[in-house]
Amino acid sequence: MASLLQPERVLYLVNGEKKIRSPLSHLYFCRYCSELRSLECVSHEVDSHYCPSCLENMPSAEAKIKKNRCANCFDCPCCMHTLSTRATNIPAPLPDDPAKTTMKKAYYLACGFCRWTSRDVGMADKSVASGGWQEPDSPHTQRISKLIEFYQQLAQREKLDRDRKKLARRRPYMPLAFAEKYGLASRQRSGVSITGLASLSLKEGEEQREVKLELAQALEEVEPLPEDCYTRPVNLPEVTTLRQRLLLPDLQPPGVLQLHPKHKQLLIKRSLRCRRCEHNLSKPEFNPTSIKFKIQLVAVNYVPEVRILSIPNLRFSKESQVLLTLTNPVESITHVTLQSCESKDPNNINSTAEVLLPSKELMLAGKDAAAEYDELAEPHDFQDDPDVVAFRKSNKLGFFIRVTPQREQGDVIVSFKIRHDFRNLATPLRPGQESGAPSEPVWLRHHVELNLGHLAA
Amino acid sequence: MPLFEGLGSGGEKTAVVIDLGAAYTKCGFAGETGPRCIIPSEIQRPGLQQPIRVVQYNINTEELYSNLKEFIHMLYFRHLLVNPRDRRVVIIESILCPSHFRETLTKVFFKHFEVPSVLFAPSHLMSVMTLGINSALVMDCGYTETLVLPVYEGIPILSAWEALPMAGKAIHKELEGQLVEQCTVDTDSSTGQSLPAVIGTIQEEVVEDIKVRTCFVSDLQRGLKIQEAKFNLDGTAERPAPPPDVDYPLDGEKILHIKGSIRDSVIEMLFEQDNEEKSVATLVLDALVKCPIDTRKTLSENLVVIGGTAMLPGFLHRLLAEIRLLVEKPRYQQALSTKTFRLHSPPAKPNCTAWLGGAIFGALQDILGSRSVSRDYYNQTGRIPDWCSLSTPPPESLYDASKTPPPLMKRAFSTEK
Repeated sequence: MASLLQPERVLYLVNGEKKIRSPLSHLYFCRYCSELRSLECVSHEVDSHYCPSCLENMPSAEAKIKKNRCANCFDCPCCMHTLSTRATNIPAPLPDDPAKTTMKKAYYLACGFCRWTSRDVGMADKSVASGGWQEPDSPHTQRISKLIEFYQQLAQREKLDRDRKKLARRRPYMPLAFAEKYGLASRQRSGVSITGLASLSLKEGEEQREVKLELAQALEEVEPLPEDCYTRPVNLPEVTTLRQRLLLPDLQPPGVLQLHPKHKQLLIKRSLRCRRCEHNLSKPEFNPTSIKFKIQLVAVNYVPEVRILSIPNLRFSKESQVLLTLTNPVESITHVTLQSCESKDPNNINSTAEVLLPSKELMLAGKDAAAEYDELAEPHDFQDDPDVVAFRKSNKLGFFIRVTPQREQGDVIVSFKIRHDFRNLATPLRPGQESGAPSEPVWLRHHVELNLGHLAA
Repeated sequence: MPLFEGLGSGGEKTAVVIDLGAAYTKCGFAGETGPRCIIPSEIQRPGLQQPIRVVQYNINTEELYSNLKEFIHMLYFRHLLVNPRDRRVVIIESILCPSHFRETLTKVFFKHFEVPSVLFAPSHLMSVMTLGINSALVMDCGYTETLVLPVYEGIPILSAWEALPMAGKAIHKELEGQLVEQCTVDTDSSTGQSLPAVIGTIQEEVVEDIKVRTCFVSDLQRGLKIQEAKFNLDGTAERPAPPPDVDYPLDGEKILHIKGSIRDSVIEMLFEQDNEEKSVATLVLDALVKCPIDTRKTLSENLVVIGGTAMLPGFLHRLLAEIRLLVEKPRYQQALSTKTFRLHSPPAKPNCTAWLGGAIFGALQDILGSRSVSRDYYNQTGRIPDWCSLSTPPPESLYDASKTPPPLMKRAFSTEK
């Protein structure tokens, strides 16, 4: 079973930007380019957002507004476990008679793992089960938005300046009044990044409507350490760890009492796209609880898989027979020929043994899901050469190759080309071919490397 | 929905801002008040116990490329959850970042993630942007080194940079040495064992946590006394009474006794002058001396300190006191006439200040495109302009960046908003 337990034994070569050797089970097959694709040479995309805790789907626009966090689920700020909502009854005065009390439902958040509760840090209980828990804003929000406004004005001016300069180049005889209106002091700009960033400064005496910014004031003195710092014993559980601080980037509280629950970070479903033809290779279903895919072009569904069935004791420069199987993933008969690599093949860099492959074309019966249960089914009558084909079982075929190890040390690696026909049953390959026979087979060639393990001792 | 989105926001989505630090990476979106996440700049590889640091300079390009690719993939698909192709990227970089690193990083962004444009912004300049001022003397005390760079009227004075490999990493090394040497561990069965006998080595993560939770920077008087006692061989100088010991649980069963004398003295190494009479505080003064004489007053009255190490309790107070003490010393008294030093407090924690500056710059959609290096430019030249390499033509001369179409969604059927 070279694909389940030993996936690294049989590698297929992917000719992307970089040559990648990978097991077939890790690869994708682009139906439109008719080529193998690896995770390295496809573009990944965010498909849908969902919360890993409540498995609610969240539309991307909403996720963007909520900063990729779930509205209902919280993480424990202490141990990062998911918090649960607890309900309890608290006495509350009746609205009409303050002397009497009634029991009222109240909710708080608690961590089932480290026993942290929202009451520990003095957060008031809420009267509703979900919602109502607010995260504190950064204390500098106002100042920062003011800063952005200020710089945006400068940026606008620079853009105006640049546009005007371009205009000036095109029409050198601009009316004077027009030039005066915008001020013609052209600024020298250098493209080198450091100085290029620098020209963002306010020029004196410019327009009236400018955003006034209060410049930051530097302080003469900094708060010293508190006096008791040198004598007070540290109670470690009251001091947050670095990890706890960094989880709240805006506040980074030093004490446990300033911790607050954080909305749970969403996760995404990812889709994959072929870089060349921009078709989807994998697209998951929208529903977060579903593990199915709308599109899933995995290579094992399209390309015949080579597996190693049995390896005899291999000895240096002695020919031995290795039994391999080929599995046909498609429902039609597939014709496969194996070819040895040419002497100057640039892909053939790892092989350490010579290989003698069956010279005849191998026919693989189509895959038939029902065949396994149908014992009486007549196998197709293929005229097989018993020297080459060891057995046949539904869409599988066992065959021999002869391997002669050429190196005394290290693993025995053989490589060869596998050539098979492929009928593109789905959409036509190119727009022009629509009227032509869609079942015209394409011949595909893959480079395969088998690692047969060590020589026998 | 994508259509409305495109029309509403002028066709451009907020840029992604990434501050790839040696120890921690801060990443988030332009225009926000803080990064979305601060995570260790590390990746896990199957079969390896130790995580691999992403920011390494002496490593071959191939390996660096694959490390960066994996790390940035994680940033986009685990933390930011957006499509890389739709958004411009602002990268906060150190001006000392080697060219091969930033070239590899650019390649990862343009070739693998196909981002529309990349802007490399120097961290010191970006932190000045968080204040609304144009001139400041910026000190970045981070993980590998402390780097001081003056910025005057928006232009970094490159010739005046000063750096010292004294920062988080050096503190961790020193702290680990002292813990191993002086501290004892209690286990279930026995007490008072030496640290190496029980756990062998102590992980940097634990050392860092001990530093953050128990250590602090003593004030000037106390610090000087500690230094005096440390270098005093005849034993006349008396060390001030150390703060109380701390019991630090190592993994539930083992308790590490951290000596109080380590807690207040380990950070002293930043302020002890080495054989070349350099310390973190002299960097500021040395940089000032290198600056043109008419800029010094402005710079010394506008100090900005960024970087995670500057968040240690008492650090800023000590730094300022140390500078004021040093400036009276003969070697600076003659060179510098300025005696006033003022410190800014940016609207973010010191470890996110540079990121915040980048986020502010990234929000300026009018000019972000023209200041960035676009994918087309990169594909034409295969290079990224660098302040230390004048041979590369500036982007404008080759390719009119302002004509770059806004990075609208490449495909109408993209699902991400």
